[in-house]
Amino acid sequence: MFKKFKRNLKIFLLFSYHSLKTAGQSRQAMVFFTLGKVLRFLFLFGIIFLVFSKTKIVAGWSLRQVIILYLTFNLIDTFTQILYREVYRFRPLVLSGNLDLILVKPYHPFLKILVGGADFLDLILFFPYFFLLLFFIFQENISLFSFLWYLVLLINGLIIATAFHIGVLALGLLTAEVDNAIMIYRDLLNLGRFPIEIYQQTIAFIFTFIIPVGIMITFPVKALFNFLSFKNIILAFFLSFFFLLLSIKLWRLGLKKYQSAGG
Amino acid sequence: MSKYLSVFILTLKEYFAYRLSFLIWRLRVFIGFLAPFFLWLTVTKQVKNLTGYEEKTIISYFFFTHLLSYFILATRTVDIAEQIQSGEIINLLLKPVSFFRFYLFRDLADKILNFFLSFFEITIFFHIFSLPFPIFSLQFFWPFLFFLTVGFFLSFFLNLLFSFSGFWSTEVWAPRFVFYILILILSGIYFPLDLLPGKIFSLILLTPFPYLFFLPVKMISSPETLINKIDFKFLFFMGSFWLIILFFLSRFFWQKGLKSFSFWGR
Repeated sequence: MFKKFKRNLKIFLLFSYHSLKTAGQSRQAMVFFTLGKVLRFLFLFGIIFLVFSKTKIVAGWSLRQVIILYLTFNLIDTFTQILYREVYRFRPLVLSGNLDLILVKPYHPFLKILVGGADFLDLILFFPYFFLLLFFIFQENISLFSFLWYLVLLINGLIIATAFHIGVLALGLLTAEVDNAIMIYRDLLNLGRFPIEIYQQTIAFIFTFIIPVGIMITFPVKALFNFLSFKNIILAFFLSFFFLLLSIKLWRLGLKKYQSAGG
Repeated sequence: MSKYLSVFILTLKEYFAYRLSFLIWRLRVFIGFLAPFFLWLTVTKQVKNLTGYEEKTIISYFFFTHLLSYFILATRTVDIAEQIQSGEIINLLLKPVSFFRFYLFRDLADKILNFFLSFFEITIFFHIFSLPFPIFSLQFFWPFLFFLTVGFFLSFFLNLLFSFSGFWSTEVWAPRFVFYILILILSGIYFPLDLLPGKIFSLILLTPFPYLFFLPVKMISSPETLINKIDFKFLFFMGSFWLIILFFLSRFFWQKGLKSFSFWGR
């Protein structure tokens, strides 16, 4: 078991090294993309201040709580982009038939198509987000117990994000029609930048239980501030388990249907 | 003229050939609309007078932003950079058509299709969620038409300029990404720009971004909140200024690019 883990880790690090070398080829693009991402982060941070310059509470959330929510969103979003960037390049593999060359290799295909293209551009931004988040959390009067729930639910959110990415891979196998399913995931996740309570009840319900953006981002922050009932914590774990299971089933179904049409 | 009409019709037909991809793109646009809309709707429900905005004016602002932003921003000129680099652009250069007009009509088809779908989806959304029908004012109809035209061409020339960078660089997506972020920040897609403190708002009015669709949206949704803040003559001047500058810049870089362009093997 440990030997297998060590081997997989070695392969993952090798792919990540290749990815780093590729990113280093276009330094101009690196500068522009990082600049764009920093600008977007600062702008949306500014929006929060603009909103709270007009009111003290938004849908029951205070300024500091919304800042922590926004930074939690950035942390989850950036972490998943660092790890799962290769998913964005999956569809051309299917269309060209080159996926065969990965499937026949003696390692799990997820090592290449899911985590095989670590994005080092996002890694640059991950650390400022992480330290800013810690800074704002430690400004609050938070118990260790709440902080632990926050961490556990954050990991739970990452499991849901993993399920989404596997689901997108499966969709790429099942249909060649959808070429931007991963971008829909990104758009849906972006709704979690702000408290889910701002949306109308029906939309908030959909984005909590059917497309669980709320569980990924809002729930950890709610747990941090003791807003979340124990029943909802259990529900969050149940839903992440369910989505992960569903995505793996879909992936297996996709593999059965895959015919290597482009090869 | 008939050849450009054919370009228009063919562009529409292209979309109907890839229906699902286009519908998914519309879904993405619509999801993007939800966050700013509900954020500011929540704020106006709590704050009765938000620098001149009330619930009904904010609804109206975002309704028209959704309609007009993608009418203005929708473009097919993004293909140009790729065509320059692959050499495919030669096919167009050898044809007896004006390059600018060819892409203008492609853009027009894209914009009209996006406009109708935006209208369709937002009307259904308003109906499902029982939102009040947005208020609008025809008092400033001519300024609305003027700024809409300015926005239309500004977007066209700005997009052309970014595509022409393909003559000199292979990195065309990265600068365009920064451009999209600037649009997100400075064009009023996420919030009405006049909510900003006066000095910042005045500074933004010096850039071309508010002339894309913020001003046409304001002219039709809530011109009264802008009348007392800004001299209209200044807005007309700045809008025209950017339009002329970008027109000449895009022509200049097109001619310069053509001179430096070479390709073989086709």
